[in-house]
Amino acid sequence: MTERITLHNLLPRVFEGMQADEAISRSEIWLSRSVTFDRGCRVSIEAESGGGKSSLLAFIYGSRRDYSGTILFDSTDARTLTVDGWCGLRRRSLALLPQEMRLFGELTVMENICLKNNLTGCKSRAQIAEMLDRLGIADKAYEPAGRLSIGQQQRVAAIRAVCQPFDFLLLDEPVSHLDARHNREVGALFDEEARAHGAGIITTTVGHNLLLDTLTTIRL
Amino acid sequence: MIKNSSTTPRHSATGAVDTAPVWQLLRRNISVWQLAGYAVANMVGLAIIVTALMFYTDATTTAGASEAADPFFSSSFEVISKEVEGIGLTPASFTPAEIADIKAQPWARRVGEFTPSRFTVNASVDLGARGMSSYLFMESIPDEFFDVRPRRWGFDPQDPFIPVIISKEYLALYNFGFAAPQGLPQLSEEVMQTVPMTFTLSGSDGLRASIAGGIAGFSSRMNTIAVPQSFMDWANSRFAPGEEALPPSRLIVEADPMLTDSMDAYLADHDLETSADRSDAGTGRIARFSAIAGGVVSAIGAVISLLAVAILFLSIYLILQKSRSRLERLMLLGYSPREVGRPLGRLLAGVNGAVALAAIFIMIIARTMWRPALAGLDLGGASLIPPVCVAIAFAVVITGANIATLRRHLGRLWWGD
Repeated sequence: MTERITLHNLLPRVFEGMQADEAISRSEIWLSRSVTFDRGCRVSIEAESGGGKSSLLAFIYGSRRDYSGTILFDSTDARTLTVDGWCGLRRRSLALLPQEMRLFGELTVMENICLKNNLTGCKSRAQIAEMLDRLGIADKAYEPAGRLSIGQQQRVAAIRAVCQPFDFLLLDEPVSHLDARHNREVGALFDEEARAHGAGIITTTVGHNLLLDTLTTIRL
Repeated sequence: MIKNSSTTPRHSATGAVDTAPVWQLLRRNISVWQLAGYAVANMVGLAIIVTALMFYTDATTTAGASEAADPFFSSSFEVISKEVEGIGLTPASFTPAEIADIKAQPWARRVGEFTPSRFTVNASVDLGARGMSSYLFMESIPDEFFDVRPRRWGFDPQDPFIPVIISKEYLALYNFGFAAPQGLPQLSEEVMQTVPMTFTLSGSDGLRASIAGGIAGFSSRMNTIAVPQSFMDWANSRFAPGEEALPPSRLIVEADPMLTDSMDAYLADHDLETSADRSDAGTGRIARFSAIAGGVVSAIGAVISLLAVAILFLSIYLILQKSRSRLERLMLLGYSPREVGRPLGRLLAGVNGAVALAAIFIMIIARTMWRPALAGLDLGGASLIPPVCVAIAFAVVITGANIATLRRHLGRLWWGD
């Protein structure tokens, strides 16, 4: 179980040499001596497009390593983690909803969700069906994901993200294609799941916020 | 509503991840034709290798369990002696150092010494109305150098009977050179073996003994009258007690047929000569030819197999390249490179295993074609184990290399290198 994620002097490599830029110097994360996300937090990271929101989540999730500074999971440096260590984190501690969803268009909605759920054994098929129903895409369960609208795909990706135990839910612009009603429903689902696990939510936004009352905003 | 409401996730009780969905995803990028092309090409190559190996081992193994150890075809037996010049008053024999030197040569697999008798021998034969007797000589060599293994070969002083092996040439000489002009009957090997003989042995101290004996077999390998080593040792100690054993004047060498050239050079350098009747030289050459032909055919098979394996590796790279995006997404979900690679590894192991089994099957079918022909030469019956092991080892090594390649590639993909 990961209680805390701490960032020390973090900066994407692509921003190196740009330390004096206003966007970097005013950032509450880049090059900050210490930024801590505690388990149970509700944080919204706001930035303009190109500010490095997706990069930040990719660094924390371990899918990119092109940064300077340190990321700690409790006291473990992310750079020291092995493949198995990262796999363990991705199955038990870190849940991710990527901005581009990364669904398999040729697989059905249910197959896409089960691809994650098979790894974790977290949800029963009935629970998955209930979540699909709740987000209004129950009738799409056996449709290929590629045939769904972007908004529908975003809801599928949201369900897939919570089909695992987690300490932190990393959401990269999770509602960018959702209307207010679905935004609220997705937000409620994330909040319920996070509460059930005692987990934190770290979401990014360029202005289309996840509708969740308790979010603290940090400027990237 | 949802059509299927089964509540069991596809996560095995043992904790192992069910990789069936991964397989469903990746199989879309697998070209059946590429894999089939590899399988057929590798099957042809591997079948050639194991079939050539099977043929070679069959062709160099004497049929029948009791004589399986006699490498009749795979070796060349040479009787070597020193050249006699002028009138040799001193016997041209080999010193222990010379024998040791010959034994140390790479072409000499085994070396046996001829033991001459140190007593006089008179053999008498009762051919009905006409009896014959003649002074003879006797020699012995270790039993393992004989090309024939008569049933009653050996000697028991309690129940003395002297079995003798003579050269086939002697019988031919009698039948075609002596019997016909003299009006005597020609005799077959079987008849000769039923003729009772009496051997009268005389020692230097006047000790005489008559012992029954008979021809036990005919050899095409040695130009001598051979008796069992056990008899020779017994008779020499009894009829020539205290006499120092004579150094051997002839040696029998089991030579590696692949190295007869270096043996010939050695013999020439040391003024040694081989027996005039090199009856086994032909079989040695056949063995040499078999080895070369087997080697060439195996090499062709190996080239085909290696090309097939190269195709397989290219296919693996192609599959991984085409699946790159899918693999990345799977690993982003938390699948490890090992789990992602497992279905493909299983497929490759299955294909390689099937190829090995097919090659073994083809070899067994091919073997039925040459078995009757080899049986006529008293050859065949080699164990299936070596070629089967080669096929299995090939499959295991290729599968291991395939899986190592998969893991290396997936590891690089994981770290984004």
